[in-house]
Amino acid sequence: MQGKRIDREKLEGALKGFLKEPGQLIFGFGRKGGLVTHRMYRDDLHGFSMFNPYFSINGATLFRRVFSKDVKVLLMLRPCEIRSIVELIKLNQIEPEGITTLSIDCPGTVSLGAERDGLPDDPFEAKDYMVEHRDGMRWACTVCRERRGVVGDLGIRMAGDKSLWAFPYTEKGKAFLATIEVPEEEFKGGFLLGEDKKDAEPFATDMGTFSSELSRCILCKNCRDMCPICYCIDCLFNGDEYLPKGDALLNKIIRKGTDDLPEGRELFHMVRLYHVSQTCVGCGACEEACPQKIPLTKYFKGISERLQGMFSYMSGRDVKEIIPYLTFKEDELKDAED
Amino acid sequence: MRAGIFICHCGHNIKHTVDVRRVSEYFRKIPGVIVSTDYAFVCSEPGQDIIVESIKRYNLDRVVIASCTPSLHGDLFKDLLKKSGVNPFLLRRVSIREHCSWVGDDVELNTEKAKRLILAGLYSASHYIPLEEKMVEVEKSALVIGGGVSGLSAALFLARMGIKVYLVEKEAELGGHVRFLGNIWPSGRKGRDIVGEMIEELKGLTNVEIFTEAEVTGFEGFFGNYGVTIRQSDRERKVIAGGVVVASGFVPFDPAIKPELNYGKDQRIVTTFDLERGIEPPDLPDRPRVAILHCVGSRDEAIGKSYCSRVCCVNALKVAETIKGRYPDSYVESFYMDVRAHPRGGEEYFEAVQERGVLFTRGNVGEIVPSESGVILRGEDTLFGEVYEREFDLVILSIGMASSPGNRTLAQLLKITLDKDGFFLEAHIKLRPYDTAVKGIFIAGSCSGPKDTEESINHGRASALKLFGMLNLGYAFVDPFISWVDPKRCSGCRQCEEACIAKAIKFDEAKRVVKVEEAACMGCGLCNATCPSSAITLKGYMDSFIGDEISGLLEVV
Amino acid sequence: MEENRDKGPEIVGFACSYCTFKASEMAGSLRMKYPEGIRVIQVPCSSRVDPAFVIKAILEGADGVFVAGCHPGDCHFIKGNFFTRRKIAALKEMFKAFSMDGRLKLFWVSAAEARRFVDKVTTMYKELKEERDAGKKN
Repeated sequence: MQGKRIDREKLEGALKGFLKEPGQLIFGFGRKGGLVTHRMYRDDLHGFSMFNPYFSINGATLFRRVFSKDVKVLLMLRPCEIRSIVELIKLNQIEPEGITTLSIDCPGTVSLGAERDGLPDDPFEAKDYMVEHRDGMRWACTVCRERRGVVGDLGIRMAGDKSLWAFPYTEKGKAFLATIEVPEEEFKGGFLLGEDKKDAEPFATDMGTFSSELSRCILCKNCRDMCPICYCIDCLFNGDEYLPKGDALLNKIIRKGTDDLPEGRELFHMVRLYHVSQTCVGCGACEEACPQKIPLTKYFKGISERLQGMFSYMSGRDVKEIIPYLTFKEDELKDAED
Repeated sequence: MRAGIFICHCGHNIKHTVDVRRVSEYFRKIPGVIVSTDYAFVCSEPGQDIIVESIKRYNLDRVVIASCTPSLHGDLFKDLLKKSGVNPFLLRRVSIREHCSWVGDDVELNTEKAKRLILAGLYSASHYIPLEEKMVEVEKSALVIGGGVSGLSAALFLARMGIKVYLVEKEAELGGHVRFLGNIWPSGRKGRDIVGEMIEELKGLTNVEIFTEAEVTGFEGFFGNYGVTIRQSDRERKVIAGGVVVASGFVPFDPAIKPELNYGKDQRIVTTFDLERGIEPPDLPDRPRVAILHCVGSRDEAIGKSYCSRVCCVNALKVAETIKGRYPDSYVESFYMDVRAHPRGGEEYFEAVQERGVLFTRGNVGEIVPSESGVILRGEDTLFGEVYEREFDLVILSIGMASSPGNRTLAQLLKITLDKDGFFLEAHIKLRPYDTAVKGIFIAGSCSGPKDTEESINHGRASALKLFGMLNLGYAFVDPFISWVDPKRCSGCRQCEEACIAKAIKFDEAKRVVKVEEAACMGCGLCNATCPSSAITLKGYMDSFIGDEISGLLEVV
Repeated sequence: MEENRDKGPEIVGFACSYCTFKASEMAGSLRMKYPEGIRVIQVPCSSRVDPAFVIKAILEGADGVFVAGCHPGDCHFIKGNFFTRRKIAALKEMFKAFSMDGRLKLFWVSAAEARRFVDKVTTMYKELKEERDAGKKN
């Protein structure tokens, strides 16, 4: 594989070079005191944080709001964030034209609830930090499917010998990489982060467990609001379309007698499970956002991987892959017919 | 909601397994139901009057009719609402006959089921919104596929009534199989003469265009304006047809499928159709021994043809009589399962043929073995329980009718349905025997199952008459069940556009929402099920309609 | 819902207007019998069936749901049922993950196949009943 051996300074130099062009922006992380936040940079890289093992909101959720064909933006984010961006491009929520996406090898991130002081900003230190602080890791990261910077236009990867490498995946990636004045060479070594093992057993649960875990749900729908893939401007569940209402509800009570009003917890979560089943990237934003600490990612990641597997689809892998529910093959899925 | 519920007894059809009185009383207690009543025949005139009067008297805004399946009497009830000043799309039909009283025997359980079905319909209807039917002009032209005797009768009928007819025949000559028939029972007329007269008249009419050696290769649109592509050798013609009569005929059963009959391997084994076509059997002695086999290619599970072809018994009798006439001293033996000489006069004809000295042996022939001296037949006589083996000079197979292999392509092109035997399926086995499930497409003749000449002519005329009635109105209403986008809710993700089969959804770059091209929308609802926020919905089948129907079906009643 | 439990499973079926619903009409016309717990909702095409409907039906107490349409290749809307197959296959996989195997079925029944319609729904009914009876014993 052809790539460039780089280091932090060279990468920073290239990013600064990118910002010198008028109307070009960089979307990445920045430090503010002890915290790390997503930040849009215009003309300097002040406080730029490159490899911290932390993110709160999935960057795609924020970037969804930036919608322009004309402004050129370089995004340097984690693989799960870039994968969300790729899915949102397919869903016409992000214009692909002006953006260049750069994914970094991600050793995992700390959970919002964990200690966040003194986070390192060097990729290799971050890796060690996450090994030491595994208890505080975001749950989604402990079962991450794709930690490698292999998605988007360009990837920043950690070699086993602690050298940093950049690999282009598209023409856009090549164009950006050309601004780093280092000769291209063949990468022969090994990577620090290998391919993740797939779970041998597909995710399985039952309705009893699901309902009891959801009994804490207060239907704040924060999980949906923080989900990068839940892009609908007016969610089905903003209304009460799916719950008995009006005459139907009144009838029910008048004839059946005193009863709890239907709340629709399972319905909300199961329909959402289905809606994001092909596009979920397993970033864990839903679980981080849940005030009740319901282990949502277990379900969303588990179901979506099972359902994506049926169509050999992986969300965010390639912008050219069609979301499986929008296409078909005439001769397939014979087992599904009863 | 001010709903009226009208429950039909359908004579005894519903009443005998559903306690209709209890059902109508039950609904009187439901909020929103202003009137709930039951009546012997809601579709009868007094029944209709009850509905009209109730609408006026109670100012109803929803009408729920629980009766037969919605595909029957659809327009009748819609017109009642229109007449009473209520939008016809505020009508809900609930099938408590085909889906309740006829499929279960237990009165208690059926009554409960009927309650739930009606409740579901009521809930669903509570969300209904008035819709406007679009009136479209109907092209007074018809496509007739097949130039056999039923296609010719249909074409002739329509043409005489002033309808422009496009007649498409795949062969070089019109007349189908009938033109080969030498002697049509009971008239004794030649088939060629019967179709010949029709063809001559058709060719003399200026409003008929005949395409021979042609096929239909393209079909689109809807009733009143079907766009048809006809290919004739290497030329293509596009025409507009208001409606269609499919009369694509049959193929004679090929006995070679049953190798034990040795058909095609010996001149002394022939079919009834071979003889009709004028293929001469080998020279026979003065006192020939002739065997006639009934039910070849019919009522035969082993080759997947369990149906009776209906024409072959009379054909077999006819050929027996012919041989007896030509060779009075012949020995003629018919091997049969049952003789089904069902047309009028058929039984008498059977008697007469027996009196001529034709022997009838009950029991199918197991095998036919040609030898030098004659053809040997082996089988079992099921009346006497004996195995027989006899030698004959000539064996005649009375073959049945098989569906044309071209039916499948035609069915897919026209979006109409085939039955398990490959014949076209009627919309309702008894009440709509000429219609298909698609508006304005009718079937005629043996393409919808074996028929004799007389039946094929009648079927052709009946289909033509039904189509004529629709075309002659000059206009039709198009169901307004097409998709609609709420631009305020559309996120512009274009998933519906990607999935849409008819390519009826277009993206508005400026507003970043999709819109529906109404003329192109087929109304399947795929977009609605694809849109995660149901910002695009199918009129008539909106989420709330179906959602509450589900709730109603599952409610305790 | 409890008092209803002894009556047998409740099945909500979605049937397309052009094939399966026609078959169900024909089954009625031919006076074929099937359990009263089976109730059909008519939809224009099986592709109209939003998986949310299926989830809703299950959560509101249906023991089983079936989605039925024309045989692949015979769809009145040309390709609708291919999309149905993908969606419902995925939903079935999701149900499997929730240990609700067998509660969702996908049938292809043409307008001519009244017998097949009755066989399919009756088999589903029996399976669900057996499963429930077995569950009661444990």
